[in-house]
Amino acid sequence: MTSIFNLLPVMLFLIFMLGISIYIQKSSTAERKKDFAKDYFIGGRTLGGFVLAMTTAATYSSVSTFVGGPGMAWVIGYGWLYMAIVQVVVIFLVLGVFGKKIALISRRIDAVTVIDVIRARYKSDLLANFSALVIVAFFCATMVAQFVGAAKLFEAVTGFSYVTGLSLFGLIVVFYTTIGGFKGVAVTDSVCAIAMILGLCLLMGSMMEVGGGFTNIMNYISTSHPDMLEPLSRGKMPVSLYISQWLLVGICTLSLPQSVVRGISYKNTQALHRAMIIGTIVIGAMTLVATWIGVLSKGILTDSLAAYGNSVDNITPLAIVKSMGPFWAGVTIIGPIAATISTVSSLLLASSSSIIKDIYMHELGKRGLAPLNSKIRTFSLAATIILGLAVYFIAISPPSVIWQINMFAFGGLETAFFWVLIFGLFWPKANKTGALAAMIGGVLVYCTTMALKIKFFDLHQIVLGILFSLLLFIIGNYLGQPADRKTLEIFFPEKFEN
Amino acid sequence: MKRSDKFRQANYEAKATVLATIAVIIFWWAAGFGLADCDITFWHTPLWVWGGCFGTWIFAVLVTVFLTKKIFVNFDLDDEETKND
Repeated sequence: MTSIFNLLPVMLFLIFMLGISIYIQKSSTAERKKDFAKDYFIGGRTLGGFVLAMTTAATYSSVSTFVGGPGMAWVIGYGWLYMAIVQVVVIFLVLGVFGKKIALISRRIDAVTVIDVIRARYKSDLLANFSALVIVAFFCATMVAQFVGAAKLFEAVTGFSYVTGLSLFGLIVVFYTTIGGFKGVAVTDSVCAIAMILGLCLLMGSMMEVGGGFTNIMNYISTSHPDMLEPLSRGKMPVSLYISQWLLVGICTLSLPQSVVRGISYKNTQALHRAMIIGTIVIGAMTLVATWIGVLSKGILTDSLAAYGNSVDNITPLAIVKSMGPFWAGVTIIGPIAATISTVSSLLLASSSSIIKDIYMHELGKRGLAPLNSKIRTFSLAATIILGLAVYFIAISPPSVIWQINMFAFGGLETAFFWVLIFGLFWPKANKTGALAAMIGGVLVYCTTMALKIKFFDLHQIVLGILFSLLLFIIGNYLGQPADRKTLEIFFPEKFEN
Repeated sequence: MKRSDKFRQANYEAKATVLATIAVIIFWWAAGFGLADCDITFWHTPLWVWGGCFGTWIFAVLVTVFLTKKIFVNFDLDDEETKND
């Protein structure tokens, strides 16, 4: 069943992404000559509302929006949809809480990354370097997992090999991220978000047709699987899981550095306000439709899970193959590929900015050497492409440790940055010792409890991570020295300005 | 607007955003679990699915519109004081 028709739509889409990035690279030559790092890593603070909304939503929705989530919904039913919708808060929460403050502060101190802000607030190289380490390690593991998920889906739907798919979108996304920089990532992300929505609508439509219409599918579910119509799914969805998800994919996403950094990048407050509304509409629509498709695919995939290879990850590809021909399947798969590359592009750029801006440029600055703009340019491009290629090669045959790191990644990032960012921006008394204890201690507690599967009231380990991190922050803060007056004037002018 | 006033406003908006999130959580609970025992179905789908899933989405959008139109204020993100120097 391998045919060029399977491949053609994705290829055209990827070439289009590449074209956008080349155009953006050409049109930002002047800005990059002036201050390469600022334009390349943050887009010169020029994002408008629509692009800000789309890039934040696209970075957040990943291949699991299309594969893992719908697969679980096929098993659980509407309970999974009810749980997935908690993600509707993620965009307005991060932009509403941090958006303006981080924009004001980053303009004053000329910050380009979240770590720039953390370093300026706490004046600690150890904290900044540990932050960079956490970001690079967890982001790389996430990128590998994204690549693997998408390549498997690609193989199952098109019949082309895993490595063919991976090489196709893997190499192109690395290349276009490298040349396009942050602005390129933001614009391609926006196109990706639109492609995701179109892909979902297409799949929904053809599935309805194959399943004999919505009424037919729902009648089948209510007679054969009535548990799928209950929020607790007859015990398959315990209340503790709902609470865990509210924390893990709802509230605590507030501190994900890949979302917070978007607060540094936008043009003006009007853009921020618009982005909050558009972003909430888009993230909600995407989550609802993708997961709903999973529930309804029960009507066309009526066997037990064992018949589908005993993995919920097979549900989405099977639903696609079963409900449409090769060409339209090839078009639909653009959706999940777009979800993957829009996540990878943002994480890749954030990782290389951590290495170049937060470690390399800072180290040079400390020695009193101001790096040349051209040198920053060479090193930034090199770091992005080398890191991207490394992720690509690891994804060809991922070692098992990658899966473990990836499993830790989401909650690990949240634990590391949650209190450090909240207290750093809203609590003048927060100090370096508290932040160090909270970040390092929190990540250790979280990873250890995850590895040993220690739980608290059957809740996800994020609860333990966040609670211990809070406790350690308060103890550390009590022992440490308060920040100097100058820092406080920058971060809390409402209290310390004359 | 003075820089300190902008920060006061940003703090106020952050607090309002937290309250808005709590409102969404309460709505989500009430419109989903709260309606779970009700036997009414609409278009072959139980009422709690419409309320808890689709309703929560619409409620969150309305809350965001309210926040950005009524609570949030537009101001210049650059320092006006330093810009005039």
